[in-house]
Amino acid sequence: MSDAKVRNPGWAGNTGEFDLTEEQVRGDDFVGTRPVEGGHPAGTPSYAYMKAERDPEAPLFEGPYQERFEKLLTRYPEKRAALLPTLALAQEVRGHVSPETMARVAELLDLPDAYVRGVTSFYTMYNKREVGRFLIQVCTNISCNLCGADDVLDAFLGATDTELGEISKDGDFTVIEAECLAACGFPTCVQINSRYYENVTPADVPKILDRLKERGE
Amino acid sequence: MAYPYTSDHEVRVLSEHFGDPSARTLEGARKNGRYETLKKAFEMGPDAVIDTVKDSGLRGRGGAGFPTGVKWSFMPKDDGKPHYLLCNADESEPGTFKDRELIRWDPHQLIEGCLIGAYAIRAQHVYIYCRGEFFEASAILGRAVEEAYEAGLIGTDIMGSGVDIDVTVHIGAGAYICGEETGLMNSLEGRRGQPRVKPPFPAAVGAFGQPTTINNVETLSAVPHIVKHGGEWYRQWGTEKSPGTKLFCVSGHVKRPGNYELPLGFPLQKLIDEVCGGIRDGHELKAVIPGGSSVPIMNAEEVARCDLDYEGVVACGSMLGCASVIVMDETTDIVKQVRRMAYFYAHESCGQCTPCREGTTWVTKILQRIEDGRGTEEDLDTLVEVTDQMTGTTICVLSDSVAAPVQSSITKFRDEYLALIRRGERVGAA
Repeated sequence: MSDAKVRNPGWAGNTGEFDLTEEQVRGDDFVGTRPVEGGHPAGTPSYAYMKAERDPEAPLFEGPYQERFEKLLTRYPEKRAALLPTLALAQEVRGHVSPETMARVAELLDLPDAYVRGVTSFYTMYNKREVGRFLIQVCTNISCNLCGADDVLDAFLGATDTELGEISKDGDFTVIEAECLAACGFPTCVQINSRYYENVTPADVPKILDRLKERGE
Repeated sequence: MAYPYTSDHEVRVLSEHFGDPSARTLEGARKNGRYETLKKAFEMGPDAVIDTVKDSGLRGRGGAGFPTGVKWSFMPKDDGKPHYLLCNADESEPGTFKDRELIRWDPHQLIEGCLIGAYAIRAQHVYIYCRGEFFEASAILGRAVEEAYEAGLIGTDIMGSGVDIDVTVHIGAGAYICGEETGLMNSLEGRRGQPRVKPPFPAAVGAFGQPTTINNVETLSAVPHIVKHGGEWYRQWGTEKSPGTKLFCVSGHVKRPGNYELPLGFPLQKLIDEVCGGIRDGHELKAVIPGGSSVPIMNAEEVARCDLDYEGVVACGSMLGCASVIVMDETTDIVKQVRRMAYFYAHESCGQCTPCREGTTWVTKILQRIEDGRGTEEDLDTLVEVTDQMTGTTICVLSDSVAAPVQSSITKFRDEYLALIRRGERVGAA
C-alpha cells in the first residue's frame, strides 16, 4: 500500500487509501450541531461536550441544562447513580469542578458533601482546577509511546509555551499526559476537549493549534 | 470500502460495515438486516437463546474468555427481582481499540445484541457503560438508541412482543479500573469505581443489588449473528475450545496497524507478516504483547510458534486477553516500555488493596531507577519478589497485571536490563 495521500490530522484513520470525509468518519451528530438539552432521556449525557466559553460561577442548573439534569434523574433506579453524569454536566457548564460545585451537586442529589468529593477525586476526567480553553491530552501509553508520543507531547508543550498541566498565558491551552485513549492503531492519539486527533506527529502540532484557534473547537 | 486497512485473510462478520457511514443510521442498519434476529429471538424464547449461545461456544471478548452462554445461565429465573444487563464499553486496556470502532460504525448491531442478551437473562434495563473519553462514540450510540426508541425497537412492548427493555447510555469519567465488572457496577451506582469482593457474584447481587450480567461490546455484537445462524454456524471458524471470529487490534511497529477480524487460532506470525504487511521497513521483530498490556511479553521465538486462540497463547507463555497485539521492533527500549506500563497501573490503581496500591508505585520507582542508570542487579530480584507478592493477593487482577509484563520482561530480556545496569547501555538511545 502507498504512503498516506492526505495527512489531515483532524480525524481518524486517514492513513493509506482512506477517502471518507471527517463527517462520515465521526458521524453528523458529532461534528454537526448537538442539542444542548441532550435529546432523548436514554442518550442524555452522551451529548456532553465542553463549552468554549465557560463560566465558573454559572448557576447549576438552569434552562436547557436543568431540563437535561431532570432527564438524567429518570434513567436510574436511585438518585445517587446520577452523580457521575451530573458532575459531567456541571463541568460542561462551569469548565471545572470546584469544591463549591461539588457542594452544589451534593445538594442537588441529596448526598453528603464529603461523599461527592470522594467520588469526584477518584475520576480523572473531572478537572479539579481550571484548565485552558482547550484541554490537550496526549496519550503516552505503550502503543503511542512506541510510535513517538513523547515527541508529540514535547511538541505541544513547546508550541503552547506551557509546562505540563499549566494554563498558557493567553488562557487557551493546557497540555497533559493521558493514559490509553483506545485509539492505539492510530498513534499518536491526542484528545482535545471532546475530540480525538489521530495519527498526530510533531509536524502536525502547529496546524492543529491553528485550527483550534480558527474554529473554536 | 477501504476501511483504513483490510486484508483478504479477514472474515468480516462483526466488522462487515466498518467504514460505511450509512450503517450507523437506523435505515442503513435495517437494510443490513439488523433487528430481524431480535424478532426471531422473541419467537425462540429466552432459554433457547441461551442454549444457542452456549452451543456456539462464544467466549467473553473482554479478556477473561468465560463462555457467554454459561454466564447467562447463572441468572436466576422467575425471582421477581429486576435484572440488569450491563454492556462494558469502558475500553481502556492499553493496546485495545476494537469496541470504539464497533460502537461508532455499527451501533445498531450492539443495541440488537444488548436487547437479545437482556431478553435471554430476563433483564428490563440495559446500561451501556461507555468510557468518558468516548464523546464521539457515545454520541453516535446515543443517537442510535434514540432512533431505536422512536421506531419502537427499545422501550415497552418491543415490536408487539410484550417484552419491555430500556437501554441507557452511561458515561464514565476516566478510570481504567471501571472496566473491571464490579468496579463498573460501583461506578454506575455513582460510587468510587472500586471493585467489590466476590462472592456474591453479579448474577446474585450486582448493580443496584440486583441480579446482573456484564458482557463486553464485542461479545454482545456477536450475539445477533449467532442467534440468526445458529451455534454450529459460528463454530465453522476458530478451534474446538475457542470458536468463532475475533477482532485483533494490532498496534506498534507494523506497516498497517488496525482492527482485523480473523478466525481464532490464526497464526500470530502470519498476522504480523501478511495481514499487517510486516514490521516497518528496515527493522525486525523483537517482542510482542499479544493481549493488551496486562499479559506477559513474548519474544520472537515464541511469536513464531504461536496460534492466536485462548489455549494457543497460553501454551506460548502469555494470554490472549482482548487480543490487543502490540508489536515491537528491535529499536524498542523494553525497560522504558515496561516502566511506562507499570506507571499506568500505579496511576490507575484504585488504592483499595495494599499490595496493589504500594506495589505498583514501588515497582514503577524501581524501574525508573534502573532506567535512569542507577539500578543494581539486586533490583531485578526485588522486582520479581515484589510482583510475586502482588499476584493473587488482591480483590481484582489489576495488581497481577503489573506482574505479567515485569516478570516476563526480566526473564526474557534480562540481558537488556543487565546492559543498562552494568554498562549504562540503552536500546535505541541515539
